[in-house]
Amino acid sequence: MALLKILEPGQTIAPQQRRIALGIDLGTTNSLAATVRDGRAEVLQAPEGGVLLPSAVYYGADGLLTGRQALARLGDSPQNTLQSFKRMMGRGREDVAHSGYRLAKSEGGMLRFDTAAGEISPVQASAEILKALAAQGVETLGAELDGVVITVPAYFDDAQRQATKDAATLAGLKVLRLLNEPTAAAVAYGLDSGQEGVVAVYDLGGGTFDISILRLHRGVFEVMASGGDSALGGDDLDRAIVDWSVSELGLDEVSDTQYLLALAAARRVKESLSEQHQAGLEIFGQALSLSREQLEKLIQPLVKRSLRSCRRALRDAGVSSAQVEQVVLVGGSTRVPLVRAAVAEFFGREPLFSIDPDTVVAVGAAIQADVLVGNKPDQELLLLDVIPLSLGLETMGGLVERIISRNTTIPVAKSQEFTTYQDGQTAMAIHVLQGERELSADCRSLARFELRGIPPMVAGAARIQVTFQVDADGLLGVTAREQATGVQSSITIKPSYGLAEDEIASMLKASWEHAGKDLQARQLAEQRVSGQQLLQSLQNAIGADAGLLNADELQKLQAAMAELGNLLNVCEDSAALKGAIEALGRHSEAFAARRMDATISRALTGVSIDELDAGKVGES
Amino acid sequence: MDFSQSYFELFELPQRFELDTDVLARRYRELQMHLHPDKHAAAGPQEQRLAVQYSAFVNGAFHTLKQPLPRALYLLNLAGWDKERVAAQPVAGDFLLQQMELREALERIHGLVNPEAGLEHLQDELAAGWSEHSGELSAAMADEDWNEAAAAVVKMQYLDKLRSEVTALENSLLDS
Repeated sequence: MALLKILEPGQTIAPQQRRIALGIDLGTTNSLAATVRDGRAEVLQAPEGGVLLPSAVYYGADGLLTGRQALARLGDSPQNTLQSFKRMMGRGREDVAHSGYRLAKSEGGMLRFDTAAGEISPVQASAEILKALAAQGVETLGAELDGVVITVPAYFDDAQRQATKDAATLAGLKVLRLLNEPTAAAVAYGLDSGQEGVVAVYDLGGGTFDISILRLHRGVFEVMASGGDSALGGDDLDRAIVDWSVSELGLDEVSDTQYLLALAAARRVKESLSEQHQAGLEIFGQALSLSREQLEKLIQPLVKRSLRSCRRALRDAGVSSAQVEQVVLVGGSTRVPLVRAAVAEFFGREPLFSIDPDTVVAVGAAIQADVLVGNKPDQELLLLDVIPLSLGLETMGGLVERIISRNTTIPVAKSQEFTTYQDGQTAMAIHVLQGERELSADCRSLARFELRGIPPMVAGAARIQVTFQVDADGLLGVTAREQATGVQSSITIKPSYGLAEDEIASMLKASWEHAGKDLQARQLAEQRVSGQQLLQSLQNAIGADAGLLNADELQKLQAAMAELGNLLNVCEDSAALKGAIEALGRHSEAFAARRMDATISRALTGVSIDELDAGKVGES
Repeated sequence: MDFSQSYFELFELPQRFELDTDVLARRYRELQMHLHPDKHAAAGPQEQRLAVQYSAFVNGAFHTLKQPLPRALYLLNLAGWDKERVAAQPVAGDFLLQQMELREALERIHGLVNPEAGLEHLQDELAAGWSEHSGELSAAMADEDWNEAAAAVVKMQYLDKLRSEVTALENSLLDS
């Protein structure tokens, strides 16, 4: 029987209503959502049955379909049935060797599929999957969502992460956090078992491979290193089978449409061979037979590639394989017997797969979402993640100056000073890059912007401080500032392979118009929600820490809150509301800072007591 | 939070080179347990923004103090030695000569019948040099002899650079 809850004496804050949050695993092949209900994580049932929603979207002249319904159109309309678009998030046309799809002729920027419903970016297709999962969540839980945690491969770069966040914006979801898939899996396992020590998570999904090495210590999940390959996964195993079939059948030329259908056949035979030793496949209109042994020979090079990443990650983490106490398998492709055997041999121990490798990531994301949305304020759970790839700037001669190295714990902020090259130079082009190579041409271009208004000086005299800040989602923000004059860059970041802010805005507008919703009403509703959230969070803060304000400050803050509260009820102008919300935000800034500072002294006082208990003081 | 305070003040540790990294790690985890943006995800936007800044400062502080070389550079910096001044500190000629020999050994590895053994030998030499110079660094730091400390740091930077090249070569051998 569930016990009744009783408030602490003198508790002033009304117990908050439980907030609704989802953990979403947005996968290459399949996607799914999970949530925490009554203290337990559970995976949501898909409307079509089962828990997995195939990551497929059909963009036909006759409408839009997702999941299994979309896949059903693969046979008659393969070019309009988009799959594996996760691999193309934040990527340009030139990055994708052979997708089988018709791609729109675009000049730079993210690639777009040419479908019967027009040009579609991978971000839009991903947004459709997110919408379907969110709708399923709303239906199952019977309430609107307060936020979601979306998982991404740990090895995703900034452009891929930003594209994922943009997809959520398009789907109208509030992202509490982008969480790395292996970290999510570690949470699902770690909290389950109370595991301590070094854990390796080997995550081979449909389109991406990740390896993360973590240290677990009293609820703190510290990622020591992560590595991988954002273009290695089950899809590549399928391609290997298709290529083998082509040469086996002596085919000279294969159309894109035939290729897309052959990939589906290859996936089926691969899955059968995880259970059987021999399986037939119907491909290119002919019958072939493939043995598990033959399959293993075909995919051996790919598995080896993944083990090389493992070796590198161990080295980056500064641990040997013998120090790894537990190996966790994640992703549907780890069902392939060769993969399991190779991982077991590499780490010298049998890997764990007690949680279904298809759902473990969503479960971990749901646990984190429950904490982030505010349902478990006292949970002793902390995820310290890292950025997977180094960040830097292009300098003279096309070289990269590294500012933040890979495997640096996030959030992180680092600054470096640069100077001008020519006398009288008044502007500076800043090219932001990600990757490990020394030449900018070999790294991924993230964005370009210009710092203007540098006062004319002799070459080398200006001091331009460039600051990189990476937040807890692993997303980068860049600012530049001339030190002598304080000129701040008018930054208009033009993402190299992303959607510009106005593009997202116009897509959102189009989708609302399409849905027949009134844009004005929607914006007003959004501002009201965010105003209410601000008031609620300030109310909670006053309830907890009113003592940090003197009587006058408290009275002024409460008056400002009452004013906004009133405005929320009567004001019909979303721009005016937005201004009022921002004003109250600024007004409460000093209070927020004092609360954070109080937190620090509490944190360290706690440690000192711990150390006294452990007899530690004096030994340092 | 006072961003101008030293990293030692932040963790309430004495400002010196020798430090108990267990205590450092514990205080770091405790601070992040309260400051990390995840702990403020349900708070207002101002608090969330502050959490990112504070947490980033704590991360930077921890990773600077955790490793001996960045810690030494940081202490030198507090003593008025910026990076350029440290880099300009002269080191003995026989050290440079030894570095050239190690570098030549590295370049020869590709041609060896058994490159793994060559790499291992080189790594052993680098490790020996590292422990020798970190001993010098500790002694100089304890005496607050900044000239000696800077010289030891420069030597360790040489070794560090060579070590990363050895690692890169090892990776390329593993990949081939």
